[in-house]
Amino acid sequence: MSVLKRWRVWVSLFMLSFCFYAIKPNFSENQVSQKINFGLDIQGGYSYLLELNQGEYKENLLTKTSQILESAYNINSSINNGNIVIPTNQNLDALDNITIQSLGIELLDNTSDEYIYSISEQSFNQSLSDMTLNAVEIVRSRVDYLGNKELSIQKVGLNKILLEIPGNLDSNVKDVISKTAKLTLHLEKKTFANTTLFTNESTGEEVRVQEIANLTGDYIQDASLQFSQNEPVVSFSFNKEGSELFAKMTSENVGKRFAIVLDGALITAPVIREAITGGSGQISGNFTNETANNLAIILKSGSLPTQISIIQEKQVGPTLGQAGVKKGVYASLIALIVITLFMIAYYRVSGLFTALTIVTCLALLFALMSLLNTTLTLPGVIGIVLTIGMCVDANVLVFERIRENFQSKIDNPKNDGFNAAYITILDSNLTTLFAAVFLFAFGFGPIRGFSISLIIGILSSLIVTYVLLKLFLEITPSKYIGLNR
Amino acid sequence: MIAFYSFRKKSYLISLFLIILTTSIIFFKGLNLGIDFKGGLNIEVETTLSNAELSSFIRDLDLNREFIIKKEIGSDIFSIRIESGKDNANFIEEFISLIKQNPSIEILISEYIEPTFSDELIKNSLYALASSLIVIAFYVWIRFDWQFAISGIVALLHDVYISMGFMSLFNIEFNLTMIAALLLIAGYSINDTIVLFDRVRSITSAENNKDTFENNVNYSVKLNLRRTILTSFTTILALLCLVVLAPINLTEMPIVFIFGVIIGTYSSIFIALGLVGDLNYEAVLKARDS
Repeated sequence: MSVLKRWRVWVSLFMLSFCFYAIKPNFSENQVSQKINFGLDIQGGYSYLLELNQGEYKENLLTKTSQILESAYNINSSINNGNIVIPTNQNLDALDNITIQSLGIELLDNTSDEYIYSISEQSFNQSLSDMTLNAVEIVRSRVDYLGNKELSIQKVGLNKILLEIPGNLDSNVKDVISKTAKLTLHLEKKTFANTTLFTNESTGEEVRVQEIANLTGDYIQDASLQFSQNEPVVSFSFNKEGSELFAKMTSENVGKRFAIVLDGALITAPVIREAITGGSGQISGNFTNETANNLAIILKSGSLPTQISIIQEKQVGPTLGQAGVKKGVYASLIALIVITLFMIAYYRVSGLFTALTIVTCLALLFALMSLLNTTLTLPGVIGIVLTIGMCVDANVLVFERIRENFQSKIDNPKNDGFNAAYITILDSNLTTLFAAVFLFAFGFGPIRGFSISLIIGILSSLIVTYVLLKLFLEITPSKYIGLNR
Repeated sequence: MIAFYSFRKKSYLISLFLIILTTSIIFFKGLNLGIDFKGGLNIEVETTLSNAELSSFIRDLDLNREFIIKKEIGSDIFSIRIESGKDNANFIEEFISLIKQNPSIEILISEYIEPTFSDELIKNSLYALASSLIVIAFYVWIRFDWQFAISGIVALLHDVYISMGFMSLFNIEFNLTMIAALLLIAGYSINDTIVLFDRVRSITSAENNKDTFENNVNYSVKLNLRRTILTSFTTILALLCLVVLAPINLTEMPIVFIFGVIIGTYSSIFIALGLVGDLNYEAVLKARDS
């Protein structure tokens, strides 16, 4: 059996079984990680692109750096125009190069009476990126608490977060993700210096409090929706450190009011009746069940490092997606059948090879997509149709070369023809492949979906053509392949 | 033998005409920028209402924002595009709830993009386009001579640009998906060009070949003609299936691509190969022979 001596036989068999095993999980009822996911445009759902406020983060970072300078190096500095300004009369010996680098700042300018430092771009971007990763986790836990389990959330660029949730719209999601949730407690103060007046817009409640917060929500460990006299309230508990601070604050100020402020707006300003030592408290104030639950969720998830804004929002109704998929699949299948029939009519037996090559190419494509856990979108479907086109093109190139060789009566028409054509195929496909890789790296949204299926498609087509198509041509006697007419 | 090569001067004129036409269409008519690149709101609805009824229904909502309604051909689907304004997040919510009061309208897709982000998307897409073009040029330059790299890129830019004119002429919305379509055209164009380049190179560099460059080009095109026709034909066949059968919001991409396939096939044979000759590739060959 000379056929069994060919390595292509074994590679083909291996490839087919690989496809089988890689595609199989897609039909499994269980939750498996290695399968093709469907994009929102296919299964319906909604997505938000969130952006963290870069300017605000920079201010925070500047303030923090300035504080570190003061506490760790005893250097007084001020912030001016996004830079840190250190007067020359400060003791600057501690600021050696290593310290400057670890602080992520660089000298911008110096005059006779001040040094101006800016935050180095690299350090800022790194820090911004880390902060966004942190924010991703906070947003994830907020949406998780609402009970959306199948969400996909990822960092995009330096300071963006893409949140995608399949299924029907849950209007609470927008509410919980867009709040910064900076909770602060401020003690009442009657003087004007360093105080702010807060007014609750819906109840008209007013309180003048000290500007700097006495306690922040960072110490909150848990929060939940409770009912007090049939009214929904949010009860929260502090961690150990927070409990101690809260106990100290309440015991020293019995009889005074304190303001509970969320993202700069007064929620309520209760009177401290007695010292609260248990480390837990309650916030009441015109909540509905939903708003109280949302507040509890964002309190226990922690506050976001900066304000967040939704810069892109998309909702796809499930009917469109499903109809779209059906149509897309039909369109692809019909395109496949039409092309196959045409190839068979034109090339006879070789056309049949093309049909088998395309089907295997598609199988390999889906297998690789499953293995890489790719998300298939509608532009991705177009990428797949294009893959079919490129695979057909490869076949045509090979067949035409072999046909030429038969005509010019070259010794080994099939092998030489295949090899000559394959160089052309490699050249043309690799250019497209490189372009697709760069598209994937720089592109966004539909461009990425399209380029990923194109990348995998080109690779599959190159492999299948090299292994399977050549095998078919090798093992079929020349007079049967239909190219020497 | 068909004299493909001697047709190149005429094809330069044709292409010049097409480029001027494209430029004036884009200049006077502009590109129909989608919200991806302009920011704003886009809502796709399915309804039995007529265009006029839907328009008056939305006008009665007193949005205080400019809006455009476009019916997708051959369906009951309309796209409503509304300009961006303050607080889009709440606006779209309110707008949807107002639309839902009318039971004859079903919302299929609703989305908005802040103009700041669409600016970023434009920048992003240009990076993607530019970087992939550079990579293509670089690859062709490594594998072939520089004459091929320049000609290939010129033919490719020619195809992409004229396809943009086609989109502008037929008022096809220019969005991220269309950027993908243009890149697809770029990919197809370079693909087609390289297949021909390969052939020309192997024929002209064959040792016993003493024929003129012109005859060699004509011979290469002739040898490849069947492949060119078959591949273009099968690709267009597949795309036609998509046009006829694909979901409404995806029909425009294959239409643009069909145009790209046609223009790409033309430019590979006439523009790209013509330029290789006019960049004096013959001199390279002669230098190599001696």
